[in-house]
Amino acid sequence: MLELHNLRKSFGRTMAIDGVTLRVERGEMVGIIGRSGAGKSTLLRLINRLTDADEGEICWQDRDITRIGGRALREWRAHSAMIFQRFNLVERLDVVTNVLVGCLHRHALLPSLIKSFPAEDRARAILELDRVGMADKALQRTETLSGGEMQRVAIARAMMQQPSLLLADEPVSALDPFNANGVMNALVAANRERGITVMVNTHTIDLARTFCQRLIGIRAGRIVFDGSPGQLDRGLEAELFGNTMLRQAA
Amino acid sequence: MTAAVDGRDVIARAHLVAAQAMTPRHGKRMLRWAGWGIGLAALVAMGCDLGFSSERLLAGMLRAGHLLTLMWPPTSAGQAGAVFKALGQTIAMAFLGTVLVVILALPLGIVGARTIVQQPVIHFVLRRLLDAARTIPSLVWAMILVAAFGLGPRVGVTAMVLAETPYLAKLFAETMENRRQGVIESLQAAGATRLQVLRYGLMPEVLPLMTGKALLLFEGNIRASAALGLVGAGGIGVLLDTRIQLLQLDQVAWILMLFIVLVLTIDLSSQALRRRLINAKSYNLERMDADA
Repeated sequence: MLELHNLRKSFGRTMAIDGVTLRVERGEMVGIIGRSGAGKSTLLRLINRLTDADEGEICWQDRDITRIGGRALREWRAHSAMIFQRFNLVERLDVVTNVLVGCLHRHALLPSLIKSFPAEDRARAILELDRVGMADKALQRTETLSGGEMQRVAIARAMMQQPSLLLADEPVSALDPFNANGVMNALVAANRERGITVMVNTHTIDLARTFCQRLIGIRAGRIVFDGSPGQLDRGLEAELFGNTMLRQAA
Repeated sequence: MTAAVDGRDVIARAHLVAAQAMTPRHGKRMLRWAGWGIGLAALVAMGCDLGFSSERLLAGMLRAGHLLTLMWPPTSAGQAGAVFKALGQTIAMAFLGTVLVVILALPLGIVGARTIVQQPVIHFVLRRLLDAARTIPSLVWAMILVAAFGLGPRVGVTAMVLAETPYLAKLFAETMENRRQGVIESLQAAGATRLQVLRYGLMPEVLPLMTGKALLLFEGNIRASAALGLVGAGGIGVLLDTRIQLLQLDQVAWILMLFIVLVLTIDLSSQALRRRLINAKSYNLERMDADA
């Protein structure tokens, strides 16, 4: 169970996250919706501590992780895998090595620096690639892949971390609808088959409606909606996305 | 027990899925390492002849220690004026050299950038010429020029220009090539002319990077001008040379102290400037990512 208490984070004079309190149960699949710049990315990055909060608390299973550092922080990050909008794979490494990056945190420093991994980890990496349909490209250089393929490799890398929480930051907004569906289905599979808690940011609301059981709407760094897709009517939706959407609809 | 069985099972299944990926290509890697090893061994072998024997090293260190005592206390010997004038000349040489190199390297760099001049023959010929010219260091140019035209700072500046223009032109060309093609295409798609594409698509992105490289060159030129002086091509090096010849090491120490202060000041301020240029750029890129 993930609990956020009164989180705040500002960049200069902009309040990116303005007093967010939130509770996510284990095994939930939560869609975080809102327009660009609402603070969705910052919220996820606060959770895995890529960004540090100005105020507030983050707890996982009743353990405060707001101020941990060093090894404890690295373990927490491995535990809460992240998927990025632009995939962030190492394009000059081959596909399977990119997936093996996901188990670096479990390995001794020296063998990992000469890219030596135990056969079992290599095998797991290949099986993870197989689950997203990418095993045949395991030895290909990553820069030769298409966007959809890269994001599937990124999911395999995240699964390799054996996480309990998966933070997906706009995972499909750089992809076409077909690939977007594939990636969202892979997130659902991670959630249903492995019981991983998934938090996925998106500004495409229909995608969130289709794939998530719970939606959290953010506007100007505050939570303005928290409920099931059914509870989010058109009026609320328009409010969430601000005046621009209303004008477009009119 | 179960864990071990599980592990073996995982490996077996992975072999079924993609056997070729299960065996990392050790052979190829070993070959590459062997190549590196042989190269390194050859380098070490060539180094055996450099006179780094231990007793000579010790004798040399003792002598160097003695010379160090001659350096204390540093003194201007009443020639502070001449020293400051020579330092000023050094800065002027480095500055003039840098400006001339930038002026010459800019057009060469633009023509040399594959993404801008899409004419393989021109590109190839220019690049190879630049490569060839780059092989001669400024000190060698200075020695040739001093023999031909006599002593003086003019020769030092000319040597810098000859040696560094090809170098900076290549850096400029590579900087311009590494830009995102998408930006340039978007301007072409908007109907911009070739020059407009350069002005709006390329300049805003590469100008901070190229200015940074020019500043780095200026830093290097300050140091290089001291060496150029040793062969009579003007600047602070000339003063150093005469005093070393006469073993007036206390005066050498005094000049060196000033020179170190000068180089540090210029390096630090140019570093700060470069950081500002480049940070402003990465900040903008970050914002673009956040907005997307």
